[in-house]
Formats: sequence, structure tokens, C-alpha cells
Amino acid sequence: MIAQADDSLGFITNLKDLKEKFTKQNPEWLIDLRRQSLERFKALGLPTLRDEEWKYTPLSPLTKKRFSFPKEKKATGLKSLENYLKGAEINLVFINGHFVKEHSHLQQLPKGITIKNLSEALSENQADLKAYFEKYSAQQDNPFTALNQACFIEGAYIKIERKTVLEPLIHIIHLTDGKEEDIVSFPRSLLILGSSAEAKVCESHISLNQSSYLVNALTDIFMEADSKLIYTKAQKESLNAFHIGMTRIWQEKDSQLNSFSLSAGSVLTRNNLLITLNGEGISSILNGLYALTGTQLVDNHTAVDHRAPNCTSRQLYKGILHNQSRGVFNGKIFVQREAQLTNAYQLNKNILLSKGCQVDTKPQLEIFADDVKCTHGATIGQLDEDQIFYLRSRCITKTDAVKMLSRGFIEDILNEIPNASIREKLEKLLQPVLAVIS
Amino acid sequence: MFSIKNLQAQINETPILKGVNLSVNPGEVHAIMGPNGSGKSTLAKVIAGHPEYTVTEGTVEYEINFKKINLLEMETEERAREGIFMAFQYPVEIPGVPTSVFLRAAFNEICKHQGAEEMDPIDFDQYLKTKMKLLDMDDKFIDRPVNVDFSGGEKKRNEILQMAILNPRLAILDETDSGLDIDSLRIVADGVNKLRRKDNAIVLITHYQRLLNYIIPDFVHVMYDGRIVKSEGKELALKVEDKGYDWLI
Repeated sequence: MIAQADDSLGFITNLKDLKEKFTKQNPEWLIDLRRQSLERFKALGLPTLRDEEWKYTPLSPLTKKRFSFPKEKKATGLKSLENYLKGAEINLVFINGHFVKEHSHLQQLPKGITIKNLSEALSENQADLKAYFEKYSAQQDNPFTALNQACFIEGAYIKIERKTVLEPLIHIIHLTDGKEEDIVSFPRSLLILGSSAEAKVCESHISLNQSSYLVNALTDIFMEADSKLIYTKAQKESLNAFHIGMTRIWQEKDSQLNSFSLSAGSVLTRNNLLITLNGEGISSILNGLYALTGTQLVDNHTAVDHRAPNCTSRQLYKGILHNQSRGVFNGKIFVQREAQLTNAYQLNKNILLSKGCQVDTKPQLEIFADDVKCTHGATIGQLDEDQIFYLRSRCITKTDAVKMLSRGFIEDILNEIPNASIREKLEKLLQPVLAVIS
Repeated sequence: MFSIKNLQAQINETPILKGVNLSVNPGEVHAIMGPNGSGKSTLAKVIAGHPEYTVTEGTVEYEINFKKINLLEMETEERAREGIFMAFQYPVEIPGVPTSVFLRAAFNEICKHQGAEEMDPIDFDQYLKTKMKLLDMDDKFIDRPVNVDFSGGEKKRNEILQMAILNPRLAILDETDSGLDIDSLRIVADGVNKLRRKDNAIVLITHYQRLLNYIIPDFVHVMYDGRIVKSEGKELALKVEDKGYDWLI
């Protein structure tokens, strides 16, 4: 199925090793889906700056590299992983894309909850999963999503049965360590909430050293009618790592989503978030934060597709940029013809702390219905000199004033996360970035 | 303790202060009055070290622990740590920063500077609450972001609260009375009076004699066109109230 690596796949050296693995373990439909997705990837090729969707995000540093699938799931410095784990929570730990049972905490799951490695779920229950895998076509526009669909091996599989309310946080941790060679991983996760089910999920991508690797992640979330989800994707990775991720969330009638995306960055991060509001009365909050320093680049692309009437989506992305870092924000809201009485709001706010940093922001609306309320906007500014003087006149150094004001700038969106444990985790990931800005 | 000599300062190349002379000793209260645009607020800002103003002439000498230092050579935050405090005419709003976090950071900078141990959040909140009682402030201010959605009176009280926390040697209150109703004025003035000591000094910048009924000054100065043109005892404020400024210029 996976033939000779052609030019567009030159940055991955040992794709062939996967072939045997897939044909042995996967059902026919999945092999077929993988083949179509790979063909799609090859047809699209790697994006360049000429592609509208990748205009501000040069991939040349990535494509110059040679990544390979790791043979082992080893990592160094695992002790510090404990900083991110909490006893009362459900943890799934993946190292270099592989599920590591001994570090995970999946004991005593309440009734109505299934959590396991996706590859395991696929081998046990592939007939049930087929529909979820086929919800989105193999003909993706984003080449990296197509590539993940072709190459994924493991990831989290979480199913919350209808009317099941799960109190503890589920924490999916992806730890990547490319210390010995430049590695690539394709984590793919699938989260299904039955009708009226409730859950809180945090997906973290971290690294414990400055090794070089590529994570190409795909997370699919399906929310049945009246379900509620708090979902966070948090990312603080090696300054030599590349992270390209896609999260697709499918919402049915009356479901409520509160999502948050934190990017404290790698050298290059691209997050795509696609939300489909496929029923009436849905509410979606999608907030995000990027805090960048050095020469980091974070690119957030969001798309909210209002397909039914009486839905609300609210989106606030904030960015703090320092040194020569770059931020890209592209947010699209589609309001389809049926989606009357849509209320959609989108705002991107940035603070530039240094002369050398840059933000390219592009909020977009495409409205085909006539009775809707949609607002969008973007701001790029600097810290207020009067505020800095006020703090300094109260004994606080300029550096500390900048830190305090930057922290103040993001306080409101952090407070919108309705879960203290998630907030705590994000604070930990943010801390190193906030400590160096001045 | 504090001596300004021939101070001249400008903003965007427009001279505002044109040779100010003023001496303040421990235990004294000075009032500076004067028409709009005479340079009162500029004087306060230059003493505090506002970066928008450039000092072109003169000295500001400050004596601390029997050592004379030139204030103008110090950063804003260093001046504050040495005991210079300015209550802002327009206190700045700082969204996202709780009042207690801000005040503890400021307080601990002073502790560090004086070689004392820093205070942890729980002890500090207790300390803060005792100071808030002094100004009849509600405990809820502790968690609210600095000055955000505060009324005019609450902002001014918050300035004096900061003075109480930081315990300065020289406090310059820039129109702290403006925008206050009579009850708030009394509370703020009572707060300031409680903070008066033999070893500290207060400079009040005001348009109105009203404040000086509550905080009795030892000296009243009238500023006009960037200079102090008249200095007398407290009776000068009454004359100004009665006759305006015309007879002085």
C-alpha cells in the first residue's frame, strides 16, 4: 500500500516499515482509507508559502529534516513527567507515539467509560469504529491531516456512553523525545460522547528536553445530542520540535463545548481546529492562547461551521509575543443558509513585547443566512506605558511590570476554563515562557 | 530631607517646569496650589520619574539615612523603594492583576530592599485587610483587578491604601481630592492624617482649600507658569480661595 517514498515524503525516511504492520493488523476498509489518504497527500504535496492556508508559515525548516519512525518507546528524564500527573485523574501516557501502560493510570474506570489505546480498540471492535473513521473523507485539503490518516498507529480511544457523567479529568499526555534520532509520530485520538454524556479531557504535548522531532497529530471528537465537554489541547515542546495538529469536533443538537488551546510552542506549531455545529441549540466556546519567545512560530487556524439554526459560537484567541517570535491567526466562521439566528463571535488580541516579533491575523466570515448576529475583530498592540509607569512607581521593576501585565492580559481567558486542574496544568506549561519575557 | 533646586523639565520639547525650588523637612505637610497648566502635576511626575518628561536643569536632592542622593539619577522603581510615593491624579486600571497580587509584589520589593523577609500571600492579605479598614474599604477589593470598575472615589482610596502599605517618607498626593464627594473626602483625609508621622512628609497638590480643612498644611505654595511664585503658611490657601490667583501673577 505504501509504495516508494516520493519527493513529497522525502522528509520521512522509513515509511516502508509501516506497511507490513498495517496489512497484518488492519481491517480492509482501514487499509483502503489509509491508501486513499496517502494518495491524497501525494497529490497535494507539501504546502508552500504560495498556498493561501500556509502563507505565513514557512515549512522549509521541517522539510529539510529527515525524520524516522522510532523503533522504541523510550524517553529520558521520565521522573519530571510526574509534574504533570495527578493521582485522582485518569492518565494515558504516550511516549514517541506509543502507548505506555506502566505510566498510565486507567484503573477502576466507572461504568459506561471505555478508555484504551486506539490500535487496541481497532483490533477488538473495528465495525463500530468504521463510521467514525469515515465521517470525514480521505480527500482532506490539509496534507498533514491526510498524512496522519494514512500513517497513524496509536492514540487515545475514549468512549463515554450515553447519560454517563465522568467527574475526573482524563489527561492524554504525548511525550516525545527525539534525543537519539529525529523522529516522527502520528498520534490519532478518537473521543466519543454519547447523548447527555459529560466529560473533561486535556490533551498535552510535551517534551522533557530540546530534541528534534515532528508530531503530526489528529484528534477526532464526536459529541452526541445534549453532551457536554471541556476540552483542552496544551502544548509546550522542545524548541527544536515541529508540531502540526488537527482537531475536528463534531457537535450534535444542544451539545455544549468549552475548548481551549494553549501553545507555548515548539519551533513551529500549526494547530487546526475544525468545529461542525450540526444541530440546533449548540454552544461552542473555543478560546486559545499562545505565548512565544525566541524564534518560535505558532499558527492557529480555526474553522467554525454553523450548519443549523440557533447556535452560538464564541471565540477568543490571545497572543503574547516576545523576541523574534511570530504568530499567525486565521479564523473562519461559516454560517450556512439553514443556520438562521446564529450568534457567532470571534476576536484575536495580540501583544507584541519586542520590536522583532510579528503577528499575521485574519478573521473571516462567510455568511449565507440572513438573520444572524456575527462579529469578528483583531487587535495587535503593545503594553501600555502608563500601566508600566504605575507599577514602577510602586517599586516594581520594569521587567516584573512587563511580566505582571502580560499575565494580566491572559487572565480572563484562563479564567474561562471551568476546571481548576486544567488551569493548574496550563500555568505550569506557561510558567517557563512568562519567566523569560521582559 | 528633600530639596528641589532650579528644576526645569520639558515634554516633547515644550518646557513645563521653569525653575522650581522647594524644600521639605520631615514631619511637614506642604500644599501646592495653582491654576490649571501651571505645572503642579508635572512636578509630581518628574519627582516620581515619569519617562515622558526630560529634566533639563536643576537637582532633586533626597536625604536618606544621613546620605544625600540625587533622585534624578535613579529609576522610577528605585525612587519608590527609597520612600518616594506619588498618589496618581488618574489611577491607572490594570485588568487581570488582582489588587492583592499587585500590592504584595510592591510591598515585597520594599522588604527586599530593606533586607527584610518577604511576606507570603496569606499573611499579606491579613495585613492588607487591616490597612483597608483604615480607609473603610470593602474586603472584596482584594481580589478585584487593580482599579478596574472602581468608582472615582474607590480609585482615590486605593491610592491612599497603597500609601499605607508602602509607608513612604515623602508622599506627593496629586489632586487626591478631585472627584470625591464629601464623605469620601473625609475618609481619605482621615486616612492620610493617620499616616502622618514625625519622620515623613506629605506634599498635597490641590485646587481646593476644602481638602486643607481636613489635612492642615504647614506651608502653602502657589505655582504659576512652571515656578513657585508664592509660599506662606496655611492662610495663603484661604486668600487664594477668596481672591483667586490673579493678584499673585
